[in-house]
Amino acid sequence: MPRFLKILARNLLKGPSTEAFPFKEAFTPPRYRGKVVMNPNLCVGCGICTHVCPGGAIMMKESEDQNGYYFMVWHNTCAFCGSCRHYCPVKAISLSQDWHNAHYQSEKYRMVEHHFVPYLHCSSCGAHIRRLPPALAARIYSHSSVDPATIIRLCPDCRQLATAKREGEVHESSPAPQQP
Amino acid sequence: MNTTQTCEQKSFTLPIGPVHVALEEPMYFRLELDGERVRHVDITSGHVHRGMEALAAKRNFFQNVVLTERVCSLCSNSHPLTYCMAVETLTGIKVPPRAQYLRVMAEEIKRIASNLFNVGIMAHVIGYKSLFMHVMEVRELMQDIKEYIFGNRMDLAANCIGGVKYDMDEELREYADKNLEQVAMHLREIIDIYRHDPMIRARTQGVGVLPVLEAERLGLVGPVARGSGIRLDVRRDAPYAAYADLDFQVITESGGDVHARAMVRLREAGEGIGIVRQILRKLPEGERSAPLQHVPAGEAVARSEAPRGELFYYLRSDGSDVPLRLKWRVPSYMNWEALPVMMKDCAVADVTLIVNSIDPCVSCTER
Repeated sequence: MPRFLKILARNLLKGPSTEAFPFKEAFTPPRYRGKVVMNPNLCVGCGICTHVCPGGAIMMKESEDQNGYYFMVWHNTCAFCGSCRHYCPVKAISLSQDWHNAHYQSEKYRMVEHHFVPYLHCSSCGAHIRRLPPALAARIYSHSSVDPATIIRLCPDCRQLATAKREGEVHESSPAPQQP
Repeated sequence: MNTTQTCEQKSFTLPIGPVHVALEEPMYFRLELDGERVRHVDITSGHVHRGMEALAAKRNFFQNVVLTERVCSLCSNSHPLTYCMAVETLTGIKVPPRAQYLRVMAEEIKRIASNLFNVGIMAHVIGYKSLFMHVMEVRELMQDIKEYIFGNRMDLAANCIGGVKYDMDEELREYADKNLEQVAMHLREIIDIYRHDPMIRARTQGVGVLPVLEAERLGLVGPVARGSGIRLDVRRDAPYAAYADLDFQVITESGGDVHARAMVRLREAGEGIGIVRQILRKLPEGERSAPLQHVPAGEAVARSEAPRGELFYYLRSDGSDVPLRLKWRVPSYMNWEALPVMMKDCAVADVTLIVNSIDPCVSCTER
C-alpha cells in the first residue's frame, strides 16, 4: 500500500488529466484519420477507391448530362481506414484532422464529401474523355519523346491516330530497311 | 434463482451474465453452487455472433483487411496482420523488410496497451479503483502513441496486403521514444505494486489455479498457458514478420493462478517496450509495401501471437477477388475451456476475477 500512496500523491499534484473539451479545443495529432477529403483537380476517375472501400462509402456516378462524374463519400458510412488514400494512384484523396461527426438527424444527407469532376473534350474529335492531370501524364510519358501536354487533350482513338501519323513520319524520313 | 434446500445443505443455481461479467462483453455462466463454493460451471455463448466469416466471403481481399480489423478492438491489429499474411502466402508476395518491422511495431504497441488494459481491469474487479485508474492512465500514454502515429486510438489501419499503410519519420520516432520512456518508468512501479501489494496478493494468489497438465490437455495458448509455465509463443516458435531479427524473452510464470497470469501480461508489456525501442533504433529504409499481384486459386494458412495467444487464419480462394472461405481461430476459444478447471471449488466472489484472468475476447470468439 505505501508503494501506491507515493503514486497517488504524485498523481494528485499533477491534477486532472482530462481535456476541457467542449469548452476548449481538444488536441488532435497531425496524422489523425478524420473525414475524407478529395481534390477534384487531381482525380482521374480510376475508381480504385470505390473498389477498396470496405463500407461502400464511396460512390462514383456519371452525371445525367454525361458531362462528367460525381464523386461522393458518405462520412457516416466511412470506416476511416484510409484505404482509399493508400491506393489512390494520384494522391487525390486525403484524410483530414476533422473528427467532428456529431450532427442532427436532419443533416444526415449533408454529411458527404461531394464533387463533380467534368470530362474534357477531345481537342480533335470532341469526344468526352476522363481527365489526366499534367503531373501524372508527365510521370507516365517520362521515358517517351511524346509531349504530354498535347496527348492529354486527345481521346484514346485520336491518340492512336496521332501516334500512327507520327511514327509514319519518322519512317518516311529515315531510309527504308533493306529487304532480305 | 432456484433454491433446493434440505436440512443439511443449501445448493443454488446462480446465473452470471450475459452482461458485464468482468469486461463489457456478454457471456452467460450458469454456476451450480454449494453454499459459497462453485461446484459446476456451464458456459453459454453466442450473444455477439455477427456472421463475420460469412461477411468475409462477400467482400474482396482489400475490404476484408478492414473487416478483420473490426473483429475485436483489443487485438484489432493482429487480425488484419494474420489475414494479410495468409493472402501473401497464397499469392507469394514478398513483404519488404521495412514493412515487416513496421508491422511488428504496430503489433507490439497494441500488445502493451491490451495487457495494461487487462491488468487494470483486474484491479477494478478486486475493488482497487485508484490502481485501476492509474494503470488506465499509463495505458493512455500508449493510446496517445497510437493516435499520434496511426491516427486512431484503437483501429490502427496499419496493415495492407503486401505491407503497411503507415510510415515513420524522425518526429514520430521522437514522440514514441518519449512516451515509451514514461510508460517504462510507470510500468516498473506497476509491476512492483502487483508483485508485492498485500491486498492484490491476498486476492489473486492461489485463486483460479490452472495446473500445467490441465493447460496442456486443453491446448491453452498465450499468457494463460505461459502463466502455468508453458513456454509457448508463436513469435519465438514460428517467427513471422521481423520477430526473428528482434531480441525478446518469452515470459513465463510458474504459479498458474490469477496473479501469475497478470504478472506474465505486465512483464510482456515490458518486453514489448523493448521490441518497439529496437525497431525505432534499427528500422531499415526502403519500400513500405510490395506491388499487388493476382491472388491465385488455392489455400493458405497463417498464424501469429495476438495479445491473448495464437491466432490462426485459413484462407481459400478460387482465383476471383473475393475469398471463397476465410476462417479464423482465436486464442480465447481455447482459453474458455480453462474456466471450468479454474473455477472448480472457487468462491463466488472470485468468479469475475477468474474470468478476467484469461483476458477473454468474446467478440473475437463469436465474431
